Amino acid sequence: MAKNISFYLNGEKIEIQVDEKDLLVDVIRNRIGLKGTKKGCTNGDCGVCTVLLDGEPIRSCITLACMIDGKEIMTIEGLGNAENVHPIQQAFVEEGAIQCGFCTPGMILTTKALLDKKAKPTTGEIKRALSGNFCRCAGYSKILKAVKTASRNLA
Amino acid sequence: MGVILEDLEQEVKAIHADQNDLNVVGKRIKRIEALAKALGTARYAADLKRDDMLIGKALFAKHPHALIKKIDTSRAEELEGVIAVMTAKDLPGRNGYGILIPDKPVIAEKKVKYQGDPVALVAAVNEEIAKKALDLIEVEYAVLPALDDPREAMKDDAVLIHENHPAADKGNILTEVSLTRGDVDKAFAEADIIIENLYETPMVDHSYLEPDVCIAEPDPITGGLLLIAPAQFVHATKRSLAPVFNLPPNKVRVLSPVVGAGYGGKEDSCLDVCSIAGVLALRTKKTVYFELTREEIFRNTGKRHATYIKHRLAATREGKVTAIDVETILDKGAYVSMGGLREPTHAVTQRTVMYAGGAYAIPNARAKSYSVFTNHPYSCAMRGFGAPQAYFAVESQMDELARKLEMDPIELRLKNIVRDGDRTIFGQVMKKSRGLGLEECIAKVKERMEWEKPLERTAGSRKRGRGFSTFLYGTGVPLPFEGASCYATFQTDGTVSIAVSSTEMGQGLLTAFTQIAAETLGVDFDNVVVNISDTDASPDAGPTVASRSTTVVGNAIINGCTQLKNRIMDFASRELKADSRDIDIKEGKVFIVGKPETAVPLGSMVAKAFVNQVPLSATGVWYPPRPTFSGEDGQGDPMHAYAFGAQGVEIEVDTETGEIDIVKFVLACDVGKAINPVNVEQQMEGGAAMGIGWSLMEEIDMSNGVMKNDSFKNYPIPSIKDVPEMDLIIVEHPNELGPFGAKGIGEPPTVPTAPAIRNALYDALGIKFNKIPFTPQRVIEEIKKYENKNS
Ligand code: FES
Ligand code: FES
Repeated sequence: MAKNISFYLNGEKIEIQVDEKDLLVDVIRNRIGLKGTKKGCTNGDCGVCTVLLDGEPIRSCITLACMIDGKEIMTIEGLGNAENVHPIQQAFVEEGAIQCGFCTPGMILTTKALLDKKAKPTTGEIKRALSGNFCRCAGYSKILKAVKTASRNLA
Repeated sequence: MGVILEDLEQEVKAIHADQNDLNVVGKRIKRIEALAKALGTARYAADLKRDDMLIGKALFAKHPHALIKKIDTSRAEELEGVIAVMTAKDLPGRNGYGILIPDKPVIAEKKVKYQGDPVALVAAVNEEIAKKALDLIEVEYAVLPALDDPREAMKDDAVLIHENHPAADKGNILTEVSLTRGDVDKAFAEADIIIENLYETPMVDHSYLEPDVCIAEPDPITGGLLLIAPAQFVHATKRSLAPVFNLPPNKVRVLSPVVGAGYGGKEDSCLDVCSIAGVLALRTKKTVYFELTREEIFRNTGKRHATYIKHRLAATREGKVTAIDVETILDKGAYVSMGGLREPTHAVTQRTVMYAGGAYAIPNARAKSYSVFTNHPYSCAMRGFGAPQAYFAVESQMDELARKLEMDPIELRLKNIVRDGDRTIFGQVMKKSRGLGLEECIAKVKERMEWEKPLERTAGSRKRGRGFSTFLYGTGVPLPFEGASCYATFQTDGTVSIAVSSTEMGQGLLTAFTQIAAETLGVDFDNVVVNISDTDASPDAGPTVASRSTTVVGNAIINGCTQLKNRIMDFASRELKADSRDIDIKEGKVFIVGKPETAVPLGSMVAKAFVNQVPLSATGVWYPPRPTFSGEDGQGDPMHAYAFGAQGVEIEVDTETGEIDIVKFVLACDVGKAINPVNVEQQMEGGAAMGIGWSLMEEIDMSNGVMKNDSFKNYPIPSIKDVPEMDLIIVEHPNELGPFGAKGIGEPPTVPTAPAIRNALYDALGIKFNKIPFTPQRVIEEIKKYENKNS
């Protein structure tokens, strides 16, 4: 069944008709055309589809689009761009925390949610926050370093 | 120990003396494509999907082993929005493909041999209709018993999986590879000590996070096809699939955007998705988008070969290993893939015999490996290509020997490792000139592990232990065609374009290639652009596998750039009126050596050369010495480059929960030369983490050919919590044949982890764990068994 929803995407108001079965990830990627949000398992297990819903990381592959009516969504495109690279993105690049890059957008947004809540997280807190985002290239030590660098640079 | 390290350091300094004036190579340069990946603007294949494409879907086998009695697609065809339904009879060309041999059907016709065999394909206007159409296809099967265990499948009375396999040796045995050296029986008869054990390693999944997808687009001008897919070998994809499409290879173009990693798997899985999307596109004359779901990726695509290894090792009382006698049975799964045929394409099977004796100079050796068909997913290339399995056995054996002799395990290894002039069990002489940094790796790991200090054994239920292992690993593919080509072009402003068919899948090859080209030509890093993985834009560079791209393709780039450089220097010598041998190019300037005032910007010299009929493009090529490997006795010189390494771990085992904590992890790899140390560290950590997953948590669970754990929910891979902090040491003993001495690094770090952890477990608990993974459950079981036996 079709439903009209409106929400804020990266600060911009979106009004769109969705089917009640439509997944948020598909609406973002296919309808709105923002391809930075990745799809790895469509099962809620890998974390590459992470977006922020009112600042909280969620899996857009197991979130129905109709549920986000009236909410605020941030995707990787909303965090920074080439002219205005966000310090977290910068830190991931600088610290060599990116290999194949498929986990990167999700990893960066999860980091954003963490640092918004806690500017100076401990190693344990970082690991806990990122433990739902797989990186099979497993550059975990460099990812950890990037989060710490970002936390420093944002302070 | 200190003395050895100092000696080694002197030696290393001497080796590197001539590398001091490098400007770009060896520098920690930021990865070219990293920013786009961080911003979410990098485009992977699935990101190129458009609304006007048809959606392809496949109906896969309901049973892992069955005869197809009847297929009725009529109801699916009638569904509105369905554009095409295909079964085997509708295929345009050969119903078979594969990197080594075309034994895997595009659509199964009479029989299905594993869960991943397609029986029918659908193209529809959208996903929902395509899915509905699949539900309307009726297939009648006559179910056959499924074979799970290659040890059973190789018996004479086992049901045959392939009735007429084009390459199988006998029954379900695809191939048998042997190696013999010296007099093994005599050595065992005379041995002071014999160690004999059985080892088992599981089938595991690559679990690259980017799913397999393909966009297939008919070319209205040539009548051919464009295939866009994450690939590891675009030219082989084209070659293997052209007959499937009934097209000549020059009408099939394969293009791979940046790849969300492959680890060996996308060499084959790329063919799986491209064949399906391609035949649907030809049939419908429309662009087709096809992707595998994560569950399908688990069930259908290639895996690491599970192995069963019987390893016997003979040694003297003094700790000299005199012989090995090894039999390995590999679970091939349903199709050949990279499982290995007869000489010279033995592939994974060959590596299990080649590495059966580890990094040691063992004079007598017999190794035999059987690759056996089962009704499992086809086993293929996966980071390490058979070596991790072989090393798990031999490095565990070395540990047992040390224990029997009451000798320090590192000392034992130092007594046996290959040194300059020694032969491996496959007969190749290891040479210092090709880079032989094994001893330095061992010394460094020993130092960082503080091996000499007695281990603090904790009291209570948590037990500590230490383990060690070493390896040698040949990079590149030992096939007669091994080599690479590329194009190198000067633009008229002096900037440089390199076109190469390798793929960027996270290993950082774009950056490493750019560094190599910039260094060779004497131009700025920023003035080089490397264009990758398009069969129409560049010649065949070979597969992006086997840790070979930097070493083999890197040499081709040096060759192409050197040709360009020589042409410009030659032209400049006429312009500047000097001998061409006195001309050099550095930092974007052409000058007479010793006369900085003669410097001319490279761009203007190139522009002048252009109008004076100097060609600005060159084909760079490089071939290693022709690889040899005798099918009779397994002797030869299969590779031109060998990476070496050593690893030490300290673990703490909780004997109540069975959980293993890695408290210290030291890994040293001799890579010859780190073209970009950041990339090398990434490869080391990532490779070792894959080794940790294989050792501690991952195992595909097959029962009667059915996969029980086909999602990340029940097949977890290491998270940030599972990978310990690692002490990574880059050792550089350059290979005279490598680009700037490089030997490759992609796979080697995966090799030593499992045996190092296993040996630490033995040290901690006094229990042998000869089967991986060491899951908490298995650890507890083994402890219980041990206690029952000893009570
Ligand atoms: S794609 Fe959403 S969690 Fe994997
Ligand atoms: S960089 Fe490849 S999965 Fe994280």
